[in-house]
Amino acid sequence: MPSRTFWRTVRRSLLQAILLGAAICVAAPARAATVELFAPRPFGYFLGDVITLEAAVTLDPGFKLEPGSLPRPRPVTYWLDLRSADLTELPAVHGARRYRLLLSYQTFYAPLETRGLDIPAVPLTARDGDQVLNLSVPSWNFAASPLRSLVAGGAANPMALQPDIAPLPHPLRADLRRVAGATAVGLASILGLAILRGWGPFGRLRPPFSAAARDIRRILAAPSAEAYSKALLRLHRAFDAAAGHRLFADDVPAFLAGCPHLATEADIMAHFFHASRIAFFGKGADAAMVEMTPDALLSLARRLAVAERKGAARPVAAPTQREATA
Amino acid sequence: MQVLAGSDPSLADWRARALAFEREVAKVVLGQERVIRLLTIAVFARGHVLLEGDVGVGKTTLLRAMARAIGGTYERVEGTIDLMPTDLVYDARIGDDGRPRVDPGPLLRRGDDLSIFFFNEINRARPQVHALLLRLMAEGTVSAFGREYHFPHLQVFADRNRVEREETFELPAAARDRFFMEVQVKAPADAASRRALIFDPRFHHMDRLVAGVAEGVIDHTRLDQIARAIQDGVHASEAIAAYTLALWDAVRAPDAAGITLPGVRMDRLVQGGASPRGMSFLVRAARVRAWLEGRDMIVPEDLRAVFPEVMAHRIFFDPVYEMRREEIVGALCRAAFETVPAP
Repeated sequence: MPSRTFWRTVRRSLLQAILLGAAICVAAPARAATVELFAPRPFGYFLGDVITLEAAVTLDPGFKLEPGSLPRPRPVTYWLDLRSADLTELPAVHGARRYRLLLSYQTFYAPLETRGLDIPAVPLTARDGDQVLNLSVPSWNFAASPLRSLVAGGAANPMALQPDIAPLPHPLRADLRRVAGATAVGLASILGLAILRGWGPFGRLRPPFSAAARDIRRILAAPSAEAYSKALLRLHRAFDAAAGHRLFADDVPAFLAGCPHLATEADIMAHFFHASRIAFFGKGADAAMVEMTPDALLSLARRLAVAERKGAARPVAAPTQREATA
Repeated sequence: MQVLAGSDPSLADWRARALAFEREVAKVVLGQERVIRLLTIAVFARGHVLLEGDVGVGKTTLLRAMARAIGGTYERVEGTIDLMPTDLVYDARIGDDGRPRVDPGPLLRRGDDLSIFFFNEINRARPQVHALLLRLMAEGTVSAFGREYHFPHLQVFADRNRVEREETFELPAAARDRFFMEVQVKAPADAASRRALIFDPRFHHMDRLVAGVAEGVIDHTRLDQIARAIQDGVHASEAIAAYTLALWDAVRAPDAAGITLPGVRMDRLVQGGASPRGMSFLVRAARVRAWLEGRDMIVPEDLRAVFPEVMAHRIFFDPVYEMRREEIVGALCRAAFETVPAP
């Protein structure tokens, strides 16, 4: 149970903190320039380690950091290299410019026993017209450690190469599962595409007249002269696919000799080719629609599809891709 | 489908005469129905024809029978290596009185009534003669005796023997392009015709045989007029125009059209040719064929029926493939019709 004195102390501290904060906020524009250093742990560094120091620079209003005063990457001392110095400008507060300076050092000091080392201060110059302000990133002290013991223990030669680190086993099960999943999806997509486009053995899955009958029903859903021409073309392509080449009206008897299961439809096929001639080469689709109504065309396509299924024991030539898409 | 019958009585009447003409010619030339049909198309399209075939298959008989059935007069010249253009135009000889005379030669002898001029073995004649023939075919005129002669009804038939190549002059591409058709004449295939040609004494004497053909079945002076009427009367739709252009593209760039022939690199096969003039000849021939079939519109079958004869000799191949020309050009034409979607 905290005592009353404790609560009073807490209250006083809070008040002080608020007052201090308010004082800082009010005084901020007039505050002198500061360089704050954020450093990593100050111990446990070995030969070749890279140490990154971060300095937050806040300038007085109007001042600007001289780019020329920034340190260039270089060997600082015989054991210390400055590898990079990156300056980023942060959003200004009350007109005062703020920067973040990242300094990357690499130590090449080989201590025989743990020993403190200094990274020297870095001078910076800020300027506002003729006014010059000299700042400095403070020096930083860290403890460097040796890589090996000073005196060889046992019979081992302290200069001998240490064995390589054993490779870290990386769990691959999840990756393999993902690869297997992606392969399965890819194969399924290719299979789907093959069925849709009628590639290879899938050509027989969509016999030309069945596909045409389905398409023609869709095309003739809104009957017009244009749709009628399209439906005629669609059935022509089905005939082409069934024959394996472009089929003209004059070729129908030869075609039927090769496909006896379609012979029952010979008369209505001749009718279709006649109507198609009128539509494409004669008076036009309107005149052809009188010769063969859209309903008759759809019914022909359906009857051909039925005849085709009945004659499936004697498969017709599979349509090539070009003909299927032409 | 007799769409044409009611549309133009004179065209329908002329069609009946054209079919009668075919029947007359077929009486004396057996087993050549396709050649007769093609030549009839050429007659009614007013185009010149180059016949190609073996010796003794009946080319001359066919032409004489046609000349007799058409009416008008017929002249024939044998191409030889020393034949000069003047030999066609002039007849230079010693007259009865012992004095040199220059009379009109084979071309001019019959005046402007000449309806068929048959040039035998055209590839034996020299390029100078080809040039004269070129002008005769293109313009129907010849200059002689200081003036110009016109042949309004003239149709030139030439024949070429492809077996021998010694002492021949290959026709230049420009000359071949002027011919409306190049027709292959082969010996008839069916046994009955062949047997009749050998054993029937009717076929042993050509003059007597040709005399059996009715004379002047069609009036040769009106052929030009009727040819124009056919071209005006037979309708070509948008769809057939698009189809013809697609065919043209397929023949000029077969690899782009997706045509493949075994053992041929399609991207290198066609080097040129298939000229616009050739394509216009193709449509002209297709119109006449549609008319002969009794239609007033061109359909793809018409183009297919005349395509090899009208177009094949205008397509020029890479030299590597020229030696196999006959086989490849036939396959290319077939493949074009099997590949290009119609309509």
